[in-house]
Amino acid sequence: MNKLLLRLARMFDPILIKAGVNTDQLHHILAVKLTMDDRRPRTLFAKKKTATSNSGNPILTILFSMLMGLVLAMILFYGEGPLSSHTFFFSIFIILLCFTIVTDFTSVLIDTRDQFIILPRPVDDRTIAVSRIAHITVYVIKWAFVLGLPAIVLAGVADKSFLSPFVMLIEVLQATFISVLIVNLVYLAMMRTMDPQRFKDLINYFQIAFSTLIFATYYLLPRLVDLKALAKINLLEHTWAYFLPSVWISAFNYVFIHPGQLTLPVIILALMALVVPMVGIWFVIKVLAPGFNQKLMALSTSDGNTSAPRSIKTYDKQDLRDKIGKMVAPDPVENAGFSISWKLAARSRDFKLKAYPSFAFVPILFLYMALSGGKGQSLDDKLTNIQSGSAYFSLLYLSSIILTSMLTNIAMSEKFKAAWIYYAVPVDKPGRILSGMFKAVLTLYYLPFYMITAIGVAVVWGPATINDAILAFFICLIYGVLVALFGVKGLPFSKPVVVKQSGGKVIASMATLILVGILGVGHYFLSKWELAIWIVIVPIAAIAWIMIVQYKKTSWMDLESLDESEAIEKPKKIKKPTKQTI
Amino acid sequence: MNDTPLIRISNLQKYYGDKLVLKGLDLDIYPGQVIGYIGPNGAGKSTTVKILTGLIPDFKGEVIVDGINMAQDPQGIKKLIGYVPENAEIYDVLSPMEYLDFIGKLYGMEEHLLHDRAKKLLTAFGLGDNINNRMDTFSKGMKQKVLLISGIIHNPKIIVLDEPLSGLDANAVIMIKELIVRLKAEGKTVFYCSHMMDVVEKVSDRILLIDKGKIIADGTFESLKQDHSDTLEGIFAKLTGREGSGTEADAIINAFD
Repeated sequence: MNKLLLRLARMFDPILIKAGVNTDQLHHILAVKLTMDDRRPRTLFAKKKTATSNSGNPILTILFSMLMGLVLAMILFYGEGPLSSHTFFFSIFIILLCFTIVTDFTSVLIDTRDQFIILPRPVDDRTIAVSRIAHITVYVIKWAFVLGLPAIVLAGVADKSFLSPFVMLIEVLQATFISVLIVNLVYLAMMRTMDPQRFKDLINYFQIAFSTLIFATYYLLPRLVDLKALAKINLLEHTWAYFLPSVWISAFNYVFIHPGQLTLPVIILALMALVVPMVGIWFVIKVLAPGFNQKLMALSTSDGNTSAPRSIKTYDKQDLRDKIGKMVAPDPVENAGFSISWKLAARSRDFKLKAYPSFAFVPILFLYMALSGGKGQSLDDKLTNIQSGSAYFSLLYLSSIILTSMLTNIAMSEKFKAAWIYYAVPVDKPGRILSGMFKAVLTLYYLPFYMITAIGVAVVWGPATINDAILAFFICLIYGVLVALFGVKGLPFSKPVVVKQSGGKVIASMATLILVGILGVGHYFLSKWELAIWIVIVPIAAIAWIMIVQYKKTSWMDLESLDESEAIEKPKKIKKPTKQTI
Repeated sequence: MNDTPLIRISNLQKYYGDKLVLKGLDLDIYPGQVIGYIGPNGAGKSTTVKILTGLIPDFKGEVIVDGINMAQDPQGIKKLIGYVPENAEIYDVLSPMEYLDFIGKLYGMEEHLLHDRAKKLLTAFGLGDNINNRMDTFSKGMKQKVLLISGIIHNPKIIVLDEPLSGLDANAVIMIKELIVRLKAEGKTVFYCSHMMDVVEKVSDRILLIDKGKIIADGTFESLKQDHSDTLEGIFAKLTGREGSGTEADAIINAFD
């Protein structure tokens, strides 16, 4: 597969040579990068691999992508105005591709390792920049093809034309090129104007916002927008439509499928679909790529001592969080666990990317659940219904998503090797560090969010909900400790990032969910009697407290036995060079 | 020794923002010299090396290597230089052979020659049994050896070594020292950066000491000794103003009281 794609890439050689790229070097770089991807180290790039067809379980991923593509292909049968079905399809398709590139390939695009390996060799900026773009394109094409295959087949049915699948194949390629181009343009432009540290942060928040947006669109869009009106839209009447790449692609399709009804605007749009990817790539190579590596160089050295000018943050002040830490975790070891957890959590981009979207998931899922059902009602009616009912239960309990996502991610880090320190210091019980970690997540992330939610609930549904909020909090707390016990894989930021979850863990987390579900349902039935809720708070709070105390007693033995279920090497074991044949 | 300098650096300045890191460096290096380049952390040492190896293109002043101007043809200069960087980044999912194959081809080497040379070099460095094993199982020293080979695989005129001994055992250190002497005999120019004063003292013909962006000492070890101190360590401490290391140590011990 890779060989085939490499050969295909050779087709672009004449253009690339004209743009000043050393194509021989380009192909050597590309070949090596693809070989390396096939042999990714076990953990480091696991995140990246999941989205590509080259993942740990390729067949499953391919099947899943195909299924997604099948759902997507249904859009082709939808839409009545001219150009609309293909426009809708490719709008979503391009957004999906861009999203994949941003989340999975940012590391490839700004890989600073190349600075020390390739750049000292006689390779110029352009060639390196193009090799990166080509590397990403190869992956995205593979994925786009899998994702687009159902649509390619079904396009023939939708358009009632034998020609359609072939045109569709070209359209998928165009969409791929345009997606790669969009991301590259944005990144390169951002790098030109921003200093490296801010760029990294911005990318991070961009990724967070983007994944939240996708999630929100998926759940909420069909419930908020009138799809029937959208289907009848005549795109050619709107000026903005002329600037949408998906409209260009759609027009390209139109030219082949309805050659009898061509108008000048459609022909121009169709030409855009052909010309823009070419011109765009030329522009990236010629204008933006030179100097790209220089910026990258700054990116790689900005972590070291010879940094570009930027106001260096000093961290010598005690802030509120330190004070909270002293209050809730007075024991020195526990306090250390508390501090290290929130400090690393607040500064680690990787953690933020994984855990922060959960803050948005809570309201999104709540709205999704609340707006579902009640067919035929208008949006306003539905919103009034929410307020009169007892939907706030789901809102309060949904907040536990934050605990889950924080706790399951906090043990993992790309710099997990630094965790050797836990094994080198004389700590009798790792539970002390763990409980510090738990308290940090609880007081600094969960509690503020929960309080705002609870106040919001009290405002909307009335003060009678206060006792419910308190009870739900302690039940979520119990859930949190259980997640920490069974779901968390170790000390804060001490494990390599892995995607797979071992079977035992899944069962444990299912059992946890069911238990909390039972408690929550019990709470719901009890809610008729206000006094009963107040009384039940006492034992539940006591149980939560006892569990935290017990959690603090986690011994090294317990931690080890947790580790055993996984085949991950522990940081304290020294790696020995073992012979290995390929 | 030749009269025309192989490397000519004149009035080299480098800003990071407003901060002037290199304050007008002037330097002539002749073929066949082994240059020991030393200096305290943050003195501008690695900036000089990165400019010389073409990694930092925006600088003021002139860098001319073998008649080629860095500002005009950095790729031409890169071909002449073999660089072993300090932070040992390597594609460790590849085998040494694959890695060297890749690097060599970036230099445009012909495959047959490249493979032959890579095999010989790997064997000579004691990695003969591991030629086709993936490097992620390698020890730090083994990876360092592969990096060293990748720096000389294209038979460069100039070899820039930045802290090349890190992670190597005593035997390997002796071997590298011997190697430097032999490279010199072959007429290669070696630019050697290190914090290990005893090694620099032994291998270098000419020692350059940089501090705060300026070269503050330049000469053979013998000539520096006459002016300053008996050991290179002493010279270094004296010239970079850290002579009071005794009082510093005192202050450290006193902190426990």
